[in-house]
Amino acid sequence: MHLIPIPYLDPGSGSLILQVLIATLLGIGLAVRASWKRIKGYFGRKKSTQEEEDADQQRN
Amino acid sequence: MQTSNGIDRLPASFRDPAGFLFLKNGVLYRQINRAYHQQYTRLLDSGLYRELVGAGLLVRHEESDQPPLEAEVAFKVIRPDRVPFVSYPYEWSFGQLKDAALVTLAIQKQAMKFGMILKDASAYNIQFSQGKPVLIDTLSFDLYEEGKPWDAYRQFCQHFLAPLALMAYRDVRLGQLSRVYLDGIPLDLTAELLPLLTRGNLGLLTHIHIHAAAQKRYAGKPVKRALRITSTALKGLVENLEKVISDLTWQPLGTEWGDYYDCTNYSDHSLENKKALVRKWTDNVRPDLVFDLGANTGMFSRESATSGALIISMDLDPAAVEQNYQAVKRKKEFNILPLLLDLTNPTPQLGWNLSERDSFHHRGPADLTLALALVHHLAISNNIPLPYFAEFLAGQCRWLIVEFVPKTDSQVQKLLASRKDIFSSYSQEGFESAFAGFFETIQAERPGDSDRTLYFMKRR
Repeated sequence: MHLIPIPYLDPGSGSLILQVLIATLLGIGLAVRASWKRIKGYFGRKKSTQEEEDADQQRN
Repeated sequence: MQTSNGIDRLPASFRDPAGFLFLKNGVLYRQINRAYHQQYTRLLDSGLYRELVGAGLLVRHEESDQPPLEAEVAFKVIRPDRVPFVSYPYEWSFGQLKDAALVTLAIQKQAMKFGMILKDASAYNIQFSQGKPVLIDTLSFDLYEEGKPWDAYRQFCQHFLAPLALMAYRDVRLGQLSRVYLDGIPLDLTAELLPLLTRGNLGLLTHIHIHAAAQKRYAGKPVKRALRITSTALKGLVENLEKVISDLTWQPLGTEWGDYYDCTNYSDHSLENKKALVRKWTDNVRPDLVFDLGANTGMFSRESATSGALIISMDLDPAAVEQNYQAVKRKKEFNILPLLLDLTNPTPQLGWNLSERDSFHHRGPADLTLALALVHHLAISNNIPLPYFAEFLAGQCRWLIVEFVPKTDSQVQKLLASRKDIFSSYSQEGFESAFAGFFETIQAERPGDSDRTLYFMKRR
């Protein structure tokens, strides 16, 4: 039994190719931004831990 | 398509093999075909249907015992809630089309969370109900397979992005191109009409300008390899479209009637009297549906709306309709629907066999029509003879509240300032005799200190 109906809209060759291109670029952008955030987060956390330690030392 | 035993197949839903709409004894049904059974089951079982209906994004339906119209291919028959008044993108203001576009994208995002995708993105699948845009096509969802691109991307750009960009960056009146191009405005035409500076807008550069160039380059050529997009990339595309649409704005400034109410020919006291008359006469009729013709920004629609009726508040000025719609949103006036309509050239029957999209006339008549401060614009600016105007109104309503504005009125004087007065029959007597042929006057009153007269009439 054929369950999935034949797509009734013509997506258009040019539209399809462009869509894949834009979406891929946006996808890469999203991935870069996400890893950049992770990197920043990693250093940020490290920095703040250091600051906390310094503060602790000053208190002692 | 008329069949025997009082069943009508609706002429607007024949393209999609998943199913179609039909009317039986005035009740709207949708047959779902067997080919769509998996999709329909996923829509309901996944919780997507409940989520979308709960958020007011999709029209509610009930499964029905009504026998299908084409039993050999049928899976189910459902009875969707009916939108109270059908309207079309070429009758919407900028803000209405923009909200319809954003709702389409919100639905697409939600669908992807439930393993589904919008298989089409037609502006005609969106209708205004309770003041908000809602998807009326329950069969718009397909199963989403990871890696599959969005087939409706092109349709979304043509139906929504193209007209919105043209309205925002070139001229708001270009929204009317949707009336010519029913499957959306061709992107090459859009790219040609848009100002050069839109190439500096990254969203419009890609989704319109490069998109149009890609369509031209690959026209008629098959895509050789299976193209894939990860679901993250597809989500990125939808969110990008959301941002591009959200950033498009149009301010209704410098309008034809923008400050019209500030310079009407009524004092505050008379204006209040006029409002009270509209309220009183509306309450007398107890209408379900009211047409307010030449509504401007909807001041008198709001008086009529206190009756609880649905008011279709129509004007030919895109700025007035936009202001009206923004007020509806702000004040949550769910029973007022502002629409763009030129009475001298109302929406005709359009599309395949001239029956896909309904004319303004086919969607009436209303129980009550308001035609306030309108007669002089039609009779003098557009040379419409008074009996023609009366006949037109008689086709639109059972009850009528109409205002006569005499030649002595400064607004009429303004219209006559640049032209020769060839309107010898434009007088109160001429007006009354023209309307007497179609209507019986129940009451006539002067709301105050001006020469204008308000009539409450019943169609003969």
